[in-house]
Amino acid sequence: MTNVTPTVVRLKLSLLRNGLRQSGGRRAAFVASAVIALLFAASQLLGLIALRGHAHIDAVAVIGTAVLALGWAVMPLFFPSGDETLDPTRLVMLPLRPRPLVRALLAASLVGIGPLFTLLLLLGCVLSVAHDAAAYVTAAVAVVLALLVCVALARAVAAANVRLLTSRKGRDLAVLSGLVIAIGAQLVNFGAQRLGAAGLGQLAPVADVLRWLPPASAVGAVHSVSEGSYGMATAQLLLTAGALVLLVAVWARSLTQLMTSPDGSTLQAAEPSGVRGRSSTGLGRLLPAGRTGTVMERSLRYVWRDPKTKAAWVTSLAIGLIVPVFNAIRGTGSLYFACFASGMLGIQMYNQFGQDTSAFWTVAMTISSARDAYVELRGRALALLVITLPYATLVTVLTTAMLGDWPRLPDVLGLSFALLGAMLATGAWTSARFPYSIPQEGYKNVAPGQAGLAWIAIFGGMVAAALLCAPVIALTIWLNVSANGDAWTWLLFPVGAAYGATITYLGLRMAAPRTAAHVPEILTAVSKG
Amino acid sequence: MTELVGVDTAAVRVRGLWKRFGQQVAVAGIDLELPAGKFIGLVGPNGAGKTTTLSMVTGLLRPDQGSVEVVGHDVWRDPVAVKARIGVLPEGLRLFERLSGRELLAYSGRLRGLPGAEVDKRATQLLEVLDLAGAQHKLVVDYSTGMRKKIGLAAALLHNPEVLFLDEPFEGVDPVSAQTIRGVLERFTASGATVVFSSHVMELVESLCDWVAVLAAGRIRATGPLAEVRGTHTTLQGAFLELVGAQGRDAGADLDWLGGGAR
Repeated sequence: MTNVTPTVVRLKLSLLRNGLRQSGGRRAAFVASAVIALLFAASQLLGLIALRGHAHIDAVAVIGTAVLALGWAVMPLFFPSGDETLDPTRLVMLPLRPRPLVRALLAASLVGIGPLFTLLLLLGCVLSVAHDAAAYVTAAVAVVLALLVCVALARAVAAANVRLLTSRKGRDLAVLSGLVIAIGAQLVNFGAQRLGAAGLGQLAPVADVLRWLPPASAVGAVHSVSEGSYGMATAQLLLTAGALVLLVAVWARSLTQLMTSPDGSTLQAAEPSGVRGRSSTGLGRLLPAGRTGTVMERSLRYVWRDPKTKAAWVTSLAIGLIVPVFNAIRGTGSLYFACFASGMLGIQMYNQFGQDTSAFWTVAMTISSARDAYVELRGRALALLVITLPYATLVTVLTTAMLGDWPRLPDVLGLSFALLGAMLATGAWTSARFPYSIPQEGYKNVAPGQAGLAWIAIFGGMVAAALLCAPVIALTIWLNVSANGDAWTWLLFPVGAAYGATITYLGLRMAAPRTAAHVPEILTAVSKG
Repeated sequence: MTELVGVDTAAVRVRGLWKRFGQQVAVAGIDLELPAGKFIGLVGPNGAGKTTTLSMVTGLLRPDQGSVEVVGHDVWRDPVAVKARIGVLPEGLRLFERLSGRELLAYSGRLRGLPGAEVDKRATQLLEVLDLAGAQHKLVVDYSTGMRKKIGLAAALLHNPEVLFLDEPFEGVDPVSAQTIRGVLERFTASGATVVFSSHVMELVESLCDWVAVLAAGRIRATGPLAEVRGTHTTLQGAFLELVGAQGRDAGADLDWLGGGAR
């Protein structure tokens, strides 16, 4: 039997190349994100090497590796881009044994910016703790092991996640994974805050645990060799290797199961779903007539029924609540964290047409003027507001109650609404300008080759939203610092709300002609995958 | 090509239509005039450019060059007039699958600006005729291929279009559903409306259509009334194979290892 590894690696390279070949803009986006990632990695590498000899550098290296691994574990679930590797379920009809397939897919996973980024950071980590020849030799082994563990971890999580997403019961669990990640991110956030307060010495106890946890244990091994404790180093390396074997085994198992059992489409057909939809007329009656209500109704139904949309919403709702409330519980948070709810929920306005998938053609057939596009976008924004407006208000009031800072409520609410307006405006505009596909099968949220586009749309949009809020932020600061300002802070509520509404209106107005003029191009962009 | 049709009766008029995807030329300069009130078959082998052509004619894909008029209105300059007059069932594009069949019809009809009560009345009748009434509250994601084609057809017919474009409406459809679809389409053309559908199943086109356009490698090879395109051949299949230049190719000659037990 021929070796599949080179074939699969080549296949991945061609997928990447073909994804980029489709448009110049996409290529530019890809190159830009690659350059930024590599510059960041290179600066980290230099920084870590420069820190050699610092008292707590071993703790930093170990924890850094652990965070990197956490990133790999979380990436396939949470972040829209991540690994553009082959979807193994596409290979289902080929007569491939699991073992060579796993080897080949693992090798293919090592191709890309992500792995290169990780490699640079890992190099920084091991070089910062290696002090003699033996340590450098260990470092070489450690880097390879740690990188493989990271990649295998991502693939194992992704495969498990696909299995979850293909059964209806699992989908509810997958939604919870967003929550778990949100809470995890919060814990990291608290850790970082505490660190800022108490210095790097705080890291030592955490690092003492993590240096035994793969893949950080590989970096731990390098440090152990530098210290002369070879027995401990061997144990740490073995532990890492063991973890790698275990992860690959888990991944291979779920991969085999995934490729040999019926997929979600077959399972769903057996489900009784006769009652659904009957009660929906109630929802329709509450909404405005005409296209606006029709669009809102469909959008709201999709929040509940479409697993991808639902997962995105639950994650946004959870993080939007957790960040301000957790911070308030700890007593250190600022009331302004309540704006997080607006920010997170506003993200749902991004890539509106991509959320439709190629079903967007139904909408495309009914958009013949900028007016149609405006009403369509406005309907979607309104559907979003039905959930977001009460939720953001609730989160703000709750946070205020916990902090007991009632006089601040109007300005935080005002700022929240301004931010929400800016997010809706930039969301509508980027939906028209940077549409991208959200594959419905599998765990990925971006079609191959469009990851750069997605990042630019989301992050560029968020930066733009923050800038658009600048006037309200400036006003808030001014009123808070000026002598008589406190008497006028209540003004921020109506000003913020009006500002948000105006900017949403302008955003929709600007997005509409662009949408109407580029309907076929948007359809092409959202029909991949 | 024969100009049998007068200026006013053309349902679709295509001039110098081109589309390239990178190096690949999908549609290489199509000129086509399709008469109104006919059942028209667009036939061609896989990759001939049928879907690309239909996508451009219906305004779902922007051509590199050329013009398309539907019932006298330019698709790209006057989309309001065109989109209101056509119904489309594309191939390879999804529907809003997380809606039930009935909800999908309600959504499509209202999106087109029809009054709600009228949409619901028409939807009930269409679901009944297309034999989908029993599954109307099931999500489209749980539908079979045939049911999807039927609900797609219902959505395309809902606003009573003048011209209906169907891309491979019978692909993957069971005989019972196919017969149902056929009945609806025949009734529709009998009322004076135009149906344009693509297919590579010649027997089907021959039995349904009274006008045919043959497409191969992005060009029109022949167009006209069925009898004219068939010419001296007894079947459309024979005429088609000659037109696309696939005749005289002995497909099995080189595969002498095939069959007769294991290697």
